[in-house]
Amino acid sequence: MAKAITTINRIELTAEQKRKLDLEEIETALIDNKESILQSLDIIKHMKERGVLSLLDGLFSEGDKVLNVLVKAADNAEATNTLKNLLLMVGVLGTINVQQLEPLLLKLNSGVARVAEYRDSDDDKLGYFDIVRSLKDPEINRALSLLFEFLKGMGEKTEGLERTTQLPENQDLHQSKDGRLENR
Amino acid sequence: MSGKMNVTINGAEVMADGNQTILQYLSDSSIEVPSVCFHPSLGPIETCDTCIVEVNGQLVRSCSTVLKDGDVIDTVAPDVKQAQTIAMDNILHNHELYCTVCDYNNGTCEVHNTVKEMKINHQSIPFDQKPYEKDESNPFYRYDPDQCILCGRCVEACQDVQVTETLRIDWDSDRPRVIWDNGVPINESSCVSCGHCSTVCPCNAMMEKGMEGEAGFLTGIAKETLRPMIEITKGVETGYGSILTISDIESEMRDSRIKKTKTVCTYCGVGCSFDVWTKGRHILKVEPPAEAPANGISTCIKGKFGWDYVNSEERLTKPLIREGDSFREAEWEEALELMAKKFTEIKKEYGPDSLGFISSSKCTNEESYLMQKLARSVIGTNNIDNCSRYCQTPATVGLFRTVGYGGDAGSFEDIAMADLVIIIGSNTAEAHPVLATRVKRAQKLNGQKVIVADLREHEMASRADLFVRPKAGSDLVWISAVTKYIIDQGWADKEFLENKVKGLGEYVDSLGGFTLDYAEKTSGLSKDTLIEIAKNIHDAKRVCALWAMGVTQHLGGSDTSTAISNLLLITGNYGRPGTGAYPLRGHNNVQGAGDFGSSPDSLPGYQKVYDDAVRQKFEQSWGTVLPAKPGFNNHEMVEGMHDGSLKALYVKGEEMGLVDSNINHVQAGYEKLDFFVVQDVFFTKTAQFADVVLPASPSFEKEGTFTNTERRIQRLYQVFEPAGESKPDWQILMEVANRLGAGWTYEHPSEIMAEAASLMPIYAGVSYERMEGYNSLQWPVQPDGTDSPVLYLDGFPFPDGKARLYPVKWSIPIQFGEQYDIHVNNGRLLEHFHEGNLTYKSKGISSKTPETFLEVSPELAEERGLKDGTLVRLTSPYGNAKVRCVVTDRVKGKEVYLPMNDQGDAAINLLTSSFADKDTDTPAYKETKAKMEILQYEGVNPLPRTNFRYGNPQPQIGVQVQKKWARPDYIFPGDLVKKERAQHG
Repeated sequence: MAKAITTINRIELTAEQKRKLDLEEIETALIDNKESILQSLDIIKHMKERGVLSLLDGLFSEGDKVLNVLVKAADNAEATNTLKNLLLMVGVLGTINVQQLEPLLLKLNSGVARVAEYRDSDDDKLGYFDIVRSLKDPEINRALSLLFEFLKGMGEKTEGLERTTQLPENQDLHQSKDGRLENR
Repeated sequence: MSGKMNVTINGAEVMADGNQTILQYLSDSSIEVPSVCFHPSLGPIETCDTCIVEVNGQLVRSCSTVLKDGDVIDTVAPDVKQAQTIAMDNILHNHELYCTVCDYNNGTCEVHNTVKEMKINHQSIPFDQKPYEKDESNPFYRYDPDQCILCGRCVEACQDVQVTETLRIDWDSDRPRVIWDNGVPINESSCVSCGHCSTVCPCNAMMEKGMEGEAGFLTGIAKETLRPMIEITKGVETGYGSILTISDIESEMRDSRIKKTKTVCTYCGVGCSFDVWTKGRHILKVEPPAEAPANGISTCIKGKFGWDYVNSEERLTKPLIREGDSFREAEWEEALELMAKKFTEIKKEYGPDSLGFISSSKCTNEESYLMQKLARSVIGTNNIDNCSRYCQTPATVGLFRTVGYGGDAGSFEDIAMADLVIIIGSNTAEAHPVLATRVKRAQKLNGQKVIVADLREHEMASRADLFVRPKAGSDLVWISAVTKYIIDQGWADKEFLENKVKGLGEYVDSLGGFTLDYAEKTSGLSKDTLIEIAKNIHDAKRVCALWAMGVTQHLGGSDTSTAISNLLLITGNYGRPGTGAYPLRGHNNVQGAGDFGSSPDSLPGYQKVYDDAVRQKFEQSWGTVLPAKPGFNNHEMVEGMHDGSLKALYVKGEEMGLVDSNINHVQAGYEKLDFFVVQDVFFTKTAQFADVVLPASPSFEKEGTFTNTERRIQRLYQVFEPAGESKPDWQILMEVANRLGAGWTYEHPSEIMAEAASLMPIYAGVSYERMEGYNSLQWPVQPDGTDSPVLYLDGFPFPDGKARLYPVKWSIPIQFGEQYDIHVNNGRLLEHFHEGNLTYKSKGISSKTPETFLEVSPELAEERGLKDGTLVRLTSPYGNAKVRCVVTDRVKGKEVYLPMNDQGDAAINLLTSSFADKDTDTPAYKETKAKMEILQYEGVNPLPRTNFRYGNPQPQIGVQVQKKWARPDYIFPGDLVKKERAQHG
């Protein structure tokens, strides 16, 4: 004869038992992750020494407020422009062909070195003939032909490559079938 | 237009199939064209204009332009790009790109992806806020007009897929937006919270609330911080490219903590499948993909939003053992030991047939298989049944008698394809909501005819082309009369009958008494109505008949099911796509529970226990001797408890103490048991009578398969770890069996399926590998994996390949004394499942439908002075129930409707009797009468005003894009481009 009953006696753990179970669980976790925990402790020690901990503590304990301040600080024309320029620069950097740039940079470097050594004095005035004579100097001559090539390149039409000023349909990127510049 | 045709694409000549749109052809050929508003399950909506291409010199929308022979198509011309860019600009005017801090940044945002794909870096028309507030009123999803791009996918889904017809776009307003009904807040509209709109929304405009502030790493930020953050992201925009890169990274990072798991819904027999998005144990959303075989993008409120119960605090997490006047929590070890000891003692003292086993239509196939194996192979009894006994066994019997397979004749596609759908005794829109959408759509868009026979004017009835209200329990009569009339008119399908059917002569003789006059008198349907039904059937090339509990839960439920099948045979409506019989299975695995032998006379695969050859096959596989005598069914087990022949009962996943009929009688039976085990997710009413209660894991916490009403077998994967110490039922069953010495060694449900499939011819080719992900199989499955979406294409599964016409007689419904003057119809509601112990756990559902209610007709209300909220007592000869009234014209006269969703004083089965279908013992729930007393005239209306039933739907076809095009501020981007070209020469 089993009447319907609704009382359920839960297995109530005493505070002591619960604490014991929790400790056991933590102990197991500690042993299972011995290496990484010891290393983390080391890192934490260093962070404490450098004062990073208290800094982070401040940051995290007031997380929402800090974030709000940060976001508000960033929410102005200058800051957003910085970020914007940064992103743009990253884009532009990507278009530079470092392989081609390397020799140019090396030359620039040696030019800079010369200038650094150069002592500015009134005795060393360059006359008109000195200039013509200098053309014969192979180093000067090479530098000039390089400069002329560079000027030529600068004069080339590149609007089609600009992403910040051109409508998408006018960008070279969109003239190609597969979105690759070389196939346009 | 079909066959091959020649077209030129971007200068290249190619061959293409006809009969498709240009967009379809292009995307199949991997030529990328943006298409923001296009959705494969919705078709062309034509609102976004981003898919513009040039065809024969004209700029057109590729989504709605059909490919023609000789077409010259250009997808890359500057004009095309410009037109697409203008279209995208118009979209971005309506949508702010703050992807990194957007909850929808999960790789699937159409706006984000299209901006990226089109390499759009800035826009000419700046984003402009709309003058509307976010609508957060609905508990499950919210609408943000500011992010809405007005693509109309949600409207298309609501109007033409779900066909609730609530959403529209208000094209006449200055700044158009999506509106509900006539522009009311979502929660006061006719919205049924099915979730279609948030599923198809291409961006974050229509979003599940579970996602809000949870999906992203930065989206949970306090509101006052979020706004400046959005401003920063926008200020930094150096063209969208770089911003999208950052949001793409964030989106990839989300994968590390958002888990997406495919599962199969457990709320009805439709078998919807979907991905559950979770973060820890938090459910972010339910996302049905287009490839879900039964449902596609469709869900109902329960499947989309009804899973809170999985994380309920009330879940059973430890075994309970009865001790005096209370239960005490115990360890598994102790509970299982006790069960093994008691089962062994009782079996030894009273024999194996003194134990009974009740399996569940909510559990997996594998679990049903193990439950019956436990009963038969370990205990040695055929006393095994499941709750389809309460609903669908009569339909199965009707089909076995006539066509040979106890399952739906085809798939949902066939129902959608039919010219005529006859729905008898099924509140389809609420009981099988997603299936109902297929009928509603076919009727709305494709001119499908729908005939509904029901007592109550539910949604399908109000939409029907012909709605008839036969007298309760008279279906067999009018169906037989219609069949007889068809034969008398010479409209029977003679060729089909001659070649494929046996028993015509005897059957025609049996119809002699079913004249139109007799049917009119008995069923209350006029002769004209009956003739109209017959004509409709005769005129339709393809007829599907759908039925449910309104047919089966009667004294003659099996016979009425048989009569429906007979009618389909006479008219040749079997063995072709778009035809056949569809008994709509109520629970997710009613079909599977039967398939896998949770039945007193059938081993898995409907193989009879009394067939020696069959038994031998199972004995060899299982290595035990099996009983040959059919056992007790549910109904007989209840009687067994009362007469003392049943001593122990093991109930798994069934709230039998509430859902069986005449529950006072059932509960009194429990009290007489020597030993009673209940295994469930919650501490149910049934569990209160148990000696041992075992905590089980629901579908989200296990793997397995379900078989839906289409005979479709689908896998579910594990979303969560089992809560507490609960366990999947198959593991529990194995532990019980092994303590009784069975020595089972299954490590995964796939091994159980492999064993079962090797023993069940109709499941021969079923394996987990063939059902990976969203793949599914419809039985019978050949050993090579070929399945059967449509049955009987090559004849019927009888030795001679012919179907049988099976004569049946009408069973006069139960007669009640004169004082019982109220007919108590009963059944389901859309938003609750069964007695409600799962769905009431959803705060959202409970806020919209907090309790059950009694639908009373305006006539009865007038006569008795009933109002919304009046508390009445219904008294039948078997018990009484207390419930508050809602006055509605869905019911008529002295007919009332009591939904079954209550566990207390309003539980319907306090009123139902122990009378049952004469062939299957399925309770005659639908034959219930009572008298009504008023306890309190005034009271709170049990159905809040926020319930969708008070809404005011606004039917229209699709999103009405013509109205957008007619706006003075709209110019087709193609025309704009051409105009500009003309100006610039």
